[in-house]
Amino acid sequence: MARFEMLNNVEHRDVRIRTQRSADTGDAVQYVVTFPLELRRAQAHYPIFFQKDSNTGQFFPIILLGFEKGENLFLGPNGWEPPYVPMSILRGPFLIGYQSNPEHPDGRQAVITIDMESPLLTSAEDGQPLFLEHGGSTPYLENLTELLEDIQLGLEMNAPFVGALTENDLIENVTMSITLNDGAERQLLGLYTINEDRLNELDDAAVASLHKAGHLQSIYMIMASHSHFRAMIERRNAQLREPATGLG
Amino acid sequence: MAKAIQTVVIVGGGSAGWLTAGLLAAELRRAGSPNRVRLVESPDVSPIGVGEGTWPTMRSSLIRMGISETEFLKSCDASFKQGTHFVGWLQGGSESYYHPFTPPRGFSDINLARHWQAVRKQVPFCDAVSPQAQVCKQALGPKQIVTPEYASNLNYGYHLDAGKFAVLLQQHCVNRLGVEHLLENVDSIENDETGDICALHTTTGRVVTGDLFVDCTGMRSLLLSEHYGIDFKDMSHLLFNDSALAVQVPRTDESEPVASATVSTAKEAGWIWDIALPTRRGTGYTYSSRYTSDERAEQVLRDYLAETSGLEFSQSCAPRKISFRPGYRERFWHRNCVAIGLSAGFVEPLEASALVMIELSAKMLAELMPPDREVMNIVADRFNVRFGAHWERIMEFLKLHYVLSEREDSPYWRDHRDPESIPARLRDSLVLWGYHCPWHGDQAQVDELFSTASYQYVLYGMNFHSEGAAGIAQADPAAHKRAQNLFAENARETQKMLAALPPNRELIDKINRYGLSRV
Repeated sequence: MARFEMLNNVEHRDVRIRTQRSADTGDAVQYVVTFPLELRRAQAHYPIFFQKDSNTGQFFPIILLGFEKGENLFLGPNGWEPPYVPMSILRGPFLIGYQSNPEHPDGRQAVITIDMESPLLTSAEDGQPLFLEHGGSTPYLENLTELLEDIQLGLEMNAPFVGALTENDLIENVTMSITLNDGAERQLLGLYTINEDRLNELDDAAVASLHKAGHLQSIYMIMASHSHFRAMIERRNAQLREPATGLG
Repeated sequence: MAKAIQTVVIVGGGSAGWLTAGLLAAELRRAGSPNRVRLVESPDVSPIGVGEGTWPTMRSSLIRMGISETEFLKSCDASFKQGTHFVGWLQGGSESYYHPFTPPRGFSDINLARHWQAVRKQVPFCDAVSPQAQVCKQALGPKQIVTPEYASNLNYGYHLDAGKFAVLLQQHCVNRLGVEHLLENVDSIENDETGDICALHTTTGRVVTGDLFVDCTGMRSLLLSEHYGIDFKDMSHLLFNDSALAVQVPRTDESEPVASATVSTAKEAGWIWDIALPTRRGTGYTYSSRYTSDERAEQVLRDYLAETSGLEFSQSCAPRKISFRPGYRERFWHRNCVAIGLSAGFVEPLEASALVMIELSAKMLAELMPPDREVMNIVADRFNVRFGAHWERIMEFLKLHYVLSEREDSPYWRDHRDPESIPARLRDSLVLWGYHCPWHGDQAQVDELFSTASYQYVLYGMNFHSEGAAGIAQADPAAHKRAQNLFAENARETQKMLAALPPNRELIDKINRYGLSRV
């Protein structure tokens, strides 16, 4: 169970963060959430789809990392393999939280919170410290703060992006069926993508409006990203060839 | 060359008028027909607004008209209906059973009712073959917020506000489907030299011409009955209810569960309906004036409200009285005039047949739209045969609920079992069902109004014993094994549904907030 606390330089003075990624650090995840701001970088390495939030039924874009729950094909024995690590992974055990503050114009203030139960927390020397000796933030924490702000901003852009897509009926359900070299078959359910037929039928005004809002670029990024799906199957097949360790 | 049919004039603007207009106009558009649809509505008559429960057919009707489910649910204050919960029908106590919309498991190829006979004392039929009664018992919805519009985990129709529904349909028909809307009172009806209606004259002096006239004027039946004098088949010897007292119960608690089945509670001389919407409940007692007085009926309704809605409300509310003659017209389509809705017939809303009959009538009219006056005679004949059969079946199926009762507490219930009051076909069916559980093959026609599943749910919900059927089931070991597997599957499925489906109230709240997606 996660247990979030508001980050401060007294209680969390000695906390360090592991930067090496592995299943042990909770990174064996099948997908992570993404947003238009990240699509250009993400589409160079990962397939991007949409999923529905089980609580609201609203679509949100995801970076697909595996074919089943708990599988991350981009996580190797030496950590994260592609050169670009998704922002939702980089954020580690941190999240933006809110604290009520009557003096703030919104009546609340964004604060950084840290999950004290996260396996990324360490006291070992190779972990990244968060605070300097006299309480100031380390460059690591400063970068992280910026990252969290970008994520927050990015997530806020998902609603207008998805709204424009659904308004134009541009999202469709897709069932990805794959057959691995050992004959095993997998079906990925609950994934959605761009309806290309519908996109091609859009009238000029609709295309112009999507373009103006910056959505058109995102749409094509997502379509292009699907070429990585094949690479994922190859990664999975490569794992099949490697002898299993520790098993009889 | 016979006269072409170009303009359809619908008279009346309640659920019947606007549903017919919507289904007809949408179908004409799809077919690329240049035909026009005009609807003449009196500015002075308010619709009776009694049909507030639908069948699952309403989902396809809304899809046909191009209405988004989210928009429909929001603007009609609608909720999900997964069937009917019958209370006190067997013995007059708190005993109850469900008639859910989802058919028994494996229904297309195996008759589970047969195999259930052996365990009929241990597990209710509806629970053995479907998860839906348990889902209704917990007031859960039939789908999740991630389920697309009109898709379902369990089959469903709706509970809706009929007044708001007519408004939504009107706006959709006028703004999106090109229906011409005239707010006029009809003063007189003009025939041409052949006896067909050629025009309506309104009180403002306007002349509304057309080639086909649809009578949606409610019980008055202005065109078919008043103008053409088509006879009415009175069915009060068969179904005794001829009166209703209706009350709307506002909700005081916005977080109260919203039941996802219509509750029908049998009383001494009729039964009480209870239809749950997010913001109110529609309730009413429908009874027979031959067996009880209006005063006594009002007391029965107030007692029910005291139990379900609090003493204060039960004393302060003012029930609205509706009188009706149970029955239907000798024929529904005469010359170039067709009656749809209450103008065609009316019975107590026991199986919510009012709206579905409108949908089916409008659908047949739209699909078989006669191109000219000669072809119209063929379509009219077929329409009359089909809807005559539908009405007969409604009478039989509704009567079945009363015939199976074991209540002895009043002459009303005893007289309902008088063989003289039971249609011959139903009497025969009851003999047959003692040996064979109802199955697809014994339906009279292919487009039967009530499916075999409905007969099964009511028969076995009310303790009917198909004694002869258990032996047939045991004689076939392969089918027996398959049936046992299906019963086990259903038990697992029930647990899954109970875990996965949200409370009906929560689902409606989320739809109001986020909407359902189309995919």
